[in-house]
Amino acid sequence: MTDFHPQVRQLLDGDINLADLPPELRAEGEEALRLLAAVDREPVTLPGTLGARVLAELRRRAEAPGFWRRLRLRPWTLVPAFAAGAALALLLSTPAPTRAPAAVTVRFVLFAPEAQQVALAGTFNQWDPAATPLVRTGAPGVWTATLTLPAGQHQYAFVVDGARWVADPAAPAVDDGFGRRNSVLSL
Amino acid sequence: MKAFCVTLLLAIAGTALGAQQDVSARLAGRVPPEIAALVHQLALGAAARGLPIDPLIQKAIEGSAKGVPADRVAAALRALTAQLDVAAAAIQQAGSNRPDTEAIAAGAFALNAGISAKQVTALALVSRPPYSTAATLRVASTLAAMGVPGEQTVDLVTQIIASGGPATDVLGLPGQVMVGVSQGQGRGVTPAQAAAGLARAAAARANAPGQNKPKPQHP
Repeated sequence: MTDFHPQVRQLLDGDINLADLPPELRAEGEEALRLLAAVDREPVTLPGTLGARVLAELRRRAEAPGFWRRLRLRPWTLVPAFAAGAALALLLSTPAPTRAPAAVTVRFVLFAPEAQQVALAGTFNQWDPAATPLVRTGAPGVWTATLTLPAGQHQYAFVVDGARWVADPAAPAVDDGFGRRNSVLSL
Repeated sequence: MKAFCVTLLLAIAGTALGAQQDVSARLAGRVPPEIAALVHQLALGAAARGLPIDPLIQKAIEGSAKGVPADRVAAALRALTAQLDVAAAAIQQAGSNRPDTEAIAAGAFALNAGISAKQVTALALVSRPPYSTAATLRVASTLAAMGVPGEQTVDLVTQIIASGGPATDVLGLPGQVMVGVSQGQGRGVTPAQAAAGLARAAAARANAPGQNKPKPQHP
């Protein structure tokens, strides 16, 4: 287990900022944050080519032998077909904006070797400290939770031992209006 | 005509009652009664002014979950209501008569993160389709929370939009800044410096010959 200086642990807990460390501990603090960031969240997104692959498969099936033999055209079947075609043409003539995925899987990590329990509370779970517990995984003292969250902006904090609210040291943070900091996650 | 008016009034009253019941259901068991009463009062006024009420409910629940004294939660709720009003006015300044509640909530959050009302207006002005005002403001507030100054945040977002990339280019800015910081860690690159580098690169792309620029779309 990496044995960090107590003040560096405070930094990892989000109790202090990097600037609060004495100069001789800043390098250790930066290294600790870098290590934490390295095992930190990896957003999982659907590949951008998925849409093209689905369309290619649909085209392949439509062109399969026997399709035209099974299709018998009647005049009235052409009306909705023309309508659908016109709608499709209209849709394709307007360049669609590239959209972000609707949901993103995120891994939250906190280094808290002294903690007995760690949970995650935020806008995504109505700030319920009991809703999303983290589990000890991998390296000693490392707590993680993996969640799938809707795209958008979320505020959160870790709750250590049911009482101590700690901002994520690896994420940007803003004033929570109560004299503490909330971490910010944009997906 | 009389029947129509009565039906309309009943419908409005029903909607307001439904909204109040929704607020009550979300606050039940999570906040003290005096905070619940204040949220109801603030939410009623906010909804009448076209402001979102969800941030108020969330802030009340957050304060109580953190064990914050009720008077401090009340002060935070009033401050948040004021921020929502300022954000709505700032977005309206950009030409949107009735901004959507998502954009107003994002604007209030941007104000809290250190973006000024004037900068919220500037960001709303450049956020024409396919760039959503709410998404642009969320990105700006994340950048501000990372330590990028407001003026520079506006400059970066404006350059990215002017370069004509897809909307995901704007959404990816906080990640890009983080990458810039981690790549320049040995040289002590700050988020502000990383953002400045991205803005320069976007400006170069926007000025490149043959570059596709987004078509201006007026509200």
